[in-house]
Amino acid sequence: MKKTKIEDINRNIYDIKNKDEYEFKIKKGLSKDIVEEISAKKNEPSWMRDFRLKALDVYNSLKLPTWGPDLSCLNMDEIATYVKPKTKLSNSWDDVDEDIKNTFDKLGIPEAEKKSLAGVGAQYDSEVVYHSMKEELKKQGVIYTDMETAVNEYPELVKKYFMKCVPVYDHKFVALHGAVWSGGSFVYVPKNVKVDIPLQSYFRLNSKEAGQFEHTLIIVEEGASLHFIEGCSAPKYNKVNLHAGCVELYVKDNAYLRYSTIENWSKNMLNLNTKKAIVGKNAKMEWVSGSFGSKISMLYPMSILDGEGAQTEYTGISFASTGQNLDNGFKVVHNAKNTSSLVNAKSISKNGGKCTYRSLVRINENAKNSKSSVSCESLMLDDISISDTIPTNDIRTDDAQFSHEAKIGKISDKTIFYLMSRGMTEEDAKAMIVRGFAYEVSKELPVEYAVEMNNLINLELEGAIG
Amino acid sequence: MKTDLILNETPIRTANNYNINNITLKDIDIEENVPQFKGMNIINNSSKVSVTETKKNKFLPRYFLSDELIMQSNKDCNVNLKIESNSSNNTQLFIDFEFSKENKSLVDNLDVTVSKNCKLTLILKYDSKDDSVGYHNQLLNIVGKENSNINVIILNFLNKSSNSFVTINNELRKNSKLNYTIIDLGSKNFIMNYYSNMISDYSSNTINSIYIGDNEKVIDLNYILHLRGRECNTDIDIQGALKDNSKKHFKGTIDFKKGCKKSIGNENESCLMLSDKAKSIALPMLLCSEEEVEGNHSSSSGKIDEGDLFYIMSRGFNKKEAMKLMVKAKFNKIIDKLKDENLKSLILDKIDEKLS
Repeated sequence: MKKTKIEDINRNIYDIKNKDEYEFKIKKGLSKDIVEEISAKKNEPSWMRDFRLKALDVYNSLKLPTWGPDLSCLNMDEIATYVKPKTKLSNSWDDVDEDIKNTFDKLGIPEAEKKSLAGVGAQYDSEVVYHSMKEELKKQGVIYTDMETAVNEYPELVKKYFMKCVPVYDHKFVALHGAVWSGGSFVYVPKNVKVDIPLQSYFRLNSKEAGQFEHTLIIVEEGASLHFIEGCSAPKYNKVNLHAGCVELYVKDNAYLRYSTIENWSKNMLNLNTKKAIVGKNAKMEWVSGSFGSKISMLYPMSILDGEGAQTEYTGISFASTGQNLDNGFKVVHNAKNTSSLVNAKSISKNGGKCTYRSLVRINENAKNSKSSVSCESLMLDDISISDTIPTNDIRTDDAQFSHEAKIGKISDKTIFYLMSRGMTEEDAKAMIVRGFAYEVSKELPVEYAVEMNNLINLELEGAIG
Repeated sequence: MKTDLILNETPIRTANNYNINNITLKDIDIEENVPQFKGMNIINNSSKVSVTETKKNKFLPRYFLSDELIMQSNKDCNVNLKIESNSSNNTQLFIDFEFSKENKSLVDNLDVTVSKNCKLTLILKYDSKDDSVGYHNQLLNIVGKENSNINVIILNFLNKSSNSFVTINNELRKNSKLNYTIIDLGSKNFIMNYYSNMISDYSSNTINSIYIGDNEKVIDLNYILHLRGRECNTDIDIQGALKDNSKKHFKGTIDFKKGCKKSIGNENESCLMLSDKAKSIALPMLLCSEEEVEGNHSSSSGKIDEGDLFYIMSRGFNKKEAMKLMVKAKFNKIIDKLKDENLKSLILDKIDEKLS
């Protein structure tokens, strides 16, 4: 570990800026005309245009949240909600624009695709520029495509599921998403098909003063299984960028879905993302989440355990540094008998960063014999940072077991002393403890992503300790 | 004047649809010109503890239940006492408030100061003599000066038609110790806002509380502790049981302010669900702006263990008795800390009554 103080960390590959070039960038702001123009540019069916306009009405009628981080730095008049990159969607990297391809190369996406993924989607600004999946999965009936293609080619499926799990009334930024969504992935795994190798979508926002509003819709049919990985990053600009994506997951009876995220947005990004899963009978939904980037993050993935015996697990870590306010957590609603949830949340704050764990566990009257166990731990690396834990536990039946525990503290002096007595420097000892603290999350990730997460932790620790 | 009250805001808001940021009670009668309360009985066995009636206690605590209630407390209070302890022995002051048809409304404003190196045990009992609808709006302000040692025991035994609104404000100076025991076994609604400002080093605040919810009772507890001095210590232990259609909202905030190095805060909330219709919401918050501290909280909720129940029943108890025994066992770790045997048996009798 270096002891030098670094004011603004060099986030190397993530901060590479391409020229702000595009085929089309919509004018800044949000209005009916803008929404209609986005719809027209995408050549959408009228039902989707009408849906967007309805969502815009809802957006205008809803207020900003009265809780959580201060969002006054967000001015929608300064955000361009749609930026079409200067390349067409392709299933071959050779056809992707050189600059854009180079960016994804540096992020390691094509290489990971060759080594360890069954399919990849890559979005640059508002549109997906690359999408491909292994042939054998296509033969099994798996659909993995960009959302725009899905709207046109699988309209019945999209109409049935699109923004039904996350209705536009949920909150203001979901309504915004409904009005201006663009890009994202659509995955359909047919009954009893097991997708053994993960699929991955990567979202890159290059344009400044822009928003990314990708929509991810995944349907895992009965008895099927899938591991889906989502990655995201952006270079840093001085002005605010906005990410208000939406992830809707349908995990049908006896199905299994793991949704892993490594979020590394630049530190001028407001990450106001919404993720929700509806979990069927005896199905299992697992969330693995690493949150490192963003200026402000408000992200609370949610599982609704709707089928008897449904299960969910959440394993997440947030790492906040200078100028970051990461308000993350998890929500679960137990809505059927014999359901269970297991939550393991961790956070690290340093250099004046603020981490908040905010959560909800609700066990409804009908969720007899359900169990929920929540554990959250926060580590403070200095005395200028902030760490808050705000969990809500709402139990509405006598026939359920619920427990929650949380800890806040610093790295124990005794542990550091022990490691130093084994020959380590103080800095190395502290870094090892932090990595160990994060291990429960990194071990749940595929090895390449665990390595990426450890690198991010090293990067963040550089200059912070010592 | 009947009004809908929005009460007991949390110090930090969370999502509105979690239904925990505040509580609304409908049609609460905020009386003006509250008549004199004649059901007060003070037992003071020490000359070094003074209790004086005053008109001066106009106090605006940092946190309170609602504007309407604090305004009533400042304008229309009918018991206004200034209490001072200069006793270095552990003296006891017992104030018994008996509600009845003639004494239905109590708006009490108690301003307590315990001097440097002094001690006080203050017992406040609120009980109903008959079935008349009682109204209780309390503002209790306690200042514990350097090295003081204070025990406060609050007993709520009001009948099931009464409303209890309690605002507690504490200020703890260097090395002072404040222990609260709050027993809530009464009222239709029990709404409490508790704030401790631990401004100086080595101060300590322990809270032990038990509650039972029955019928349509609403319990809303908002504990806020600000740890500011070095090596402050707080320990909150809340044990409760919910019957029938009762509802409990527990909001507990331990806020480690910058500078409270080496402070420790523990918070434990446990709720036994005795009915399928009861509801328990908990928001145990830890807020931390200081690195060198230790904060822990735990919250649990569930029904009585079937195995334990079966074991007790196999020893000849019927189900109701076995259940009662288990609830009492759960509460015993708090009741056992009380030194006064009469008080203990009074509380146990009330628990029996509630669970019958």
